[in-house]
Amino acid sequence: MMKQLFKNKLAVVALSILTFLYLIVIFADFIAPYSKNYSDRERAYVPPSQVYTINEYGKISRPYTYNYIREYDPELMQTVYKQDRSHKYRIKLFGRGEKYKFLGLIPTSRHLITAEDGGCLYLLGTDINGRDVFSRLLFGGRISLTIGFLALLVLFPIGLIYGGLSGYFGGVVDTVMMRFAEAVMAIPSFYLLIILAAILPPNMTSTQRLALIVVILALIGWAGFARVVRGMVLSIKTQEFVLAAKTIGAKPFRIIVKHILPQISSYIIVAITLSVPSYILSESGLSFLGLGIQQPDASWGNMLKEAQEFTNILYRPWLLTPGVLIFIAVVSFNIIGDTIRDILDPKKKDT
Amino acid sequence: MKRILYFIFILLLIFIFGKSCIKADIPESNTFSSANAEAEQEIDYPKSPRNITINNIDYLQSQAPCGNYGGELISSIIGEGPKTFNPFTATDATSSEMGSIMYDGLFTTNAVTGNIVPKLAKSYEIKGNDYIITLRHGIKWSDGVPITAEDVLFTWNDIVFAGLGNTSVRDMLIINGKLPTLTKLDDYTVKFTLPTQFAPFLRQLTLPIAPKHYFTQKPDWDKNFDTFLSTTTKPEEIVSSGAFRLKEYVAAQRVVFKKNPNYYEINLKRQRLPYLEKLVFLIVGDFNNEILKFEGGELDVIGLKGGTVALYKGKEAKSDYKIYNLGPDTGTMFAAINMNTRKNKDGKFYVDPVKQRWFNDRNFRAAIDYATDRNNMVINVAQGIGIPLFTAESLNSIYLNKNLKGHSKDINLAESYLKKSGFYKDSNGILHDKYGNTVEFNLYTNAGNTEREAVCVMLKQDLEELGMKVNFKPLEFNSLVNKLTNSYDWDLMVMGLTGSPLEPHSGKNVWYSTGSLHLFNQRPAGKPATDKLNFEKELDDIFDIASLKVNFAERKKYYDRYQEIIYNEKPLIYLYSPIRISAIRRKFGNLFPSSLMGLTYNIEEIFVKNTEETK
Repeated sequence: MMKQLFKNKLAVVALSILTFLYLIVIFADFIAPYSKNYSDRERAYVPPSQVYTINEYGKISRPYTYNYIREYDPELMQTVYKQDRSHKYRIKLFGRGEKYKFLGLIPTSRHLITAEDGGCLYLLGTDINGRDVFSRLLFGGRISLTIGFLALLVLFPIGLIYGGLSGYFGGVVDTVMMRFAEAVMAIPSFYLLIILAAILPPNMTSTQRLALIVVILALIGWAGFARVVRGMVLSIKTQEFVLAAKTIGAKPFRIIVKHILPQISSYIIVAITLSVPSYILSESGLSFLGLGIQQPDASWGNMLKEAQEFTNILYRPWLLTPGVLIFIAVVSFNIIGDTIRDILDPKKKDT
Repeated sequence: MKRILYFIFILLLIFIFGKSCIKADIPESNTFSSANAEAEQEIDYPKSPRNITINNIDYLQSQAPCGNYGGELISSIIGEGPKTFNPFTATDATSSEMGSIMYDGLFTTNAVTGNIVPKLAKSYEIKGNDYIITLRHGIKWSDGVPITAEDVLFTWNDIVFAGLGNTSVRDMLIINGKLPTLTKLDDYTVKFTLPTQFAPFLRQLTLPIAPKHYFTQKPDWDKNFDTFLSTTTKPEEIVSSGAFRLKEYVAAQRVVFKKNPNYYEINLKRQRLPYLEKLVFLIVGDFNNEILKFEGGELDVIGLKGGTVALYKGKEAKSDYKIYNLGPDTGTMFAAINMNTRKNKDGKFYVDPVKQRWFNDRNFRAAIDYATDRNNMVINVAQGIGIPLFTAESLNSIYLNKNLKGHSKDINLAESYLKKSGFYKDSNGILHDKYGNTVEFNLYTNAGNTEREAVCVMLKQDLEELGMKVNFKPLEFNSLVNKLTNSYDWDLMVMGLTGSPLEPHSGKNVWYSTGSLHLFNQRPAGKPATDKLNFEKELDDIFDIASLKVNFAERKKYYDRYQEIIYNEKPLIYLYSPIRISAIRRKFGNLFPSSLMGLTYNIEEIFVKNTEETK
């Protein structure tokens, strides 16, 4: 399967993009010049730092940047940032910055890129509180990119067992269980999400909140999955090897888990890759509405919330970068999912 | 062939990457210049309208220049639109505004001085505790029925004093447990008698007057009062007294008013006002939607905020609108500190006793105040469109205590205040109180409000500089209100309130020890306050005494003192006040914006200029 996957060029591109995203997110502490809560009061909404490699005399030089200084124009009632061209700040690799624990273990203060002391390196500008958007993108990605997988961890066992039992026993059990699943599916999911998120107890830490959002997402998503599993189990249980297992005297649960479910593993893999992006989008949607991950924590959704304002789209396009990343991640997951499905189920391709 | 294509593609990628890395240091050309900005103009306010009698009819004569008839003004409402057209049952700002367009009060507020000037009433006379009010002869409701003393009696005795609808005016007028009495002297004269002198009374007479014949046409009118004049009422049957009457209401889309032909105000040429044929309010979902509608020419007037001000200011000179700075907003934003030391029914403290000690320590509160970086809040969060605030009265209040100058952030002073009370920082920079407890508390605000969330993030950082550990928790609005009014289990909260710039007594529900919004030391409703703090006692006395003083200068002394107490004791730490900026199309004449009343308060005088005049 992997061989076939690597033959598809589009899938390779998508896979490398995702690998790249997950890598920078894992090493966010090291790659990001600042921590997610670092804030520079004097520079809120500064445009991205300009990094120059050719100096003012037209000669190639080591990369450097200028700081921005804030000026307020009372006539126009506008805050403007101008480059302070009196001092150059070199860009350094592996320079010292804020202290952190590398991979949560090794305490260090080295960052991949930093500016010289006193210089500010905001690769994608800053937000309303003067926090570095680039750094927050990396830390926000940790939440946005993992929340989908965490939800699947909760959702798949429920869906597999529920669909398996329902399909295996059939008859009245099947009817009752499936009608219940359909009832869950009939609930408009995003509205339910909003209601559930609104009644979350207020005194929660952001980790607890994250966990609960994951559970909420999973509780809505399992029904559709269980229905497909049930359909597949229905057809597989009539095959001879199931009959053989039954005659040996195996218990139903064992038959479902050991003999039937492994037969649908290819479907599960496809379903996983195709449902991750929908959870990324759900989390972004919730956070965008202020019901998901909340300030001062970062997620792509709540960062995008700031770009909601009309003038921010016009004047501060760098605030839209979380949206670009959501788009890239979702498209990549979908491409990979589609490719895997084509490989595992060549017949479907024609229909 | 394919291979060569790949090779070229990869080369191209490398080239683009290399190009983006190489960047020449050429100074940015500065396209920005303030030459486009228009200077603020001095506004030449006309004299207050005066009374004039023609053919035995007492008109009100506007002293503003005469204009042209016709045209319309399109404004907007953010949100869901009015919930009722009845000015006496309205509880939300939109509904009250709609009511005040259709129904005039006996008096109104002069936009420049803030004094009380006649509207439906012709004049007033104060004799001790008696207020004798003379009405206009010969003026009519929109259906032609004369407006008489009966309508005033009906409004005050049968609606307000009887407690129908929204009772906030009635609650305010209960003086020593008694209500004022109202008697009719003749068809055009009424007399209010107060139990004692009560300064805020006159301003309450700006309340709209209801047409008795229309309100009482059904026998059970008082039982169905809350549903009377609901948004489903047929517009043509509504009887009103204001410059405009309702023409059409389409839910979630628009409210349209047309001019009232019987309006009693005339211009200098003795022609009847208003000039405008129609007044339209479009109901828009949110601010972004409103901006787009203004941009598209669908709206004539808009309130600007934050970054949009700069956007429009830059384009003003070449545009068909003018921007007016209406000065500081009446709304205040503050961080409240929960000083509650009481126990709930189960005998548990609302606030942890360890925290109680901090919050009731003036030095602790002062440290928070001095650590707060208001200047950067204004520049970053309000994007420069705001002014740091230090007083309980809003900055445009006529009772503002100008001696309280405020201060900028002073972290050393803040630390010295903490030191005075025995707080100390350990080697990790974490603050402890003198008993060794780590200083850690929660900061709340309503989730989804970007402005307040950003303020909280800044406040949290400011306080962490002092070594305090602050857990910032944005809460959904209703659970936040529940904390404030019911469970009292909060520590620090960023909130906002809107006050009246003309009548500090309207803040009594916040400052009085038994007030319903006495946030910082809330007591359950209906229970007497037996455990008043010293400054609470003084505030109670001030609000009791000041309302009995009729002389402005004398009253102001008391209200100056109340602001000074709040400034010194800091139960609420005021943050900043946004500046109101409005843009309106240049085609309108007779615009006299004022910081007290806004931009379109004189809607009956506003007219559409001829096209040549506009340019």
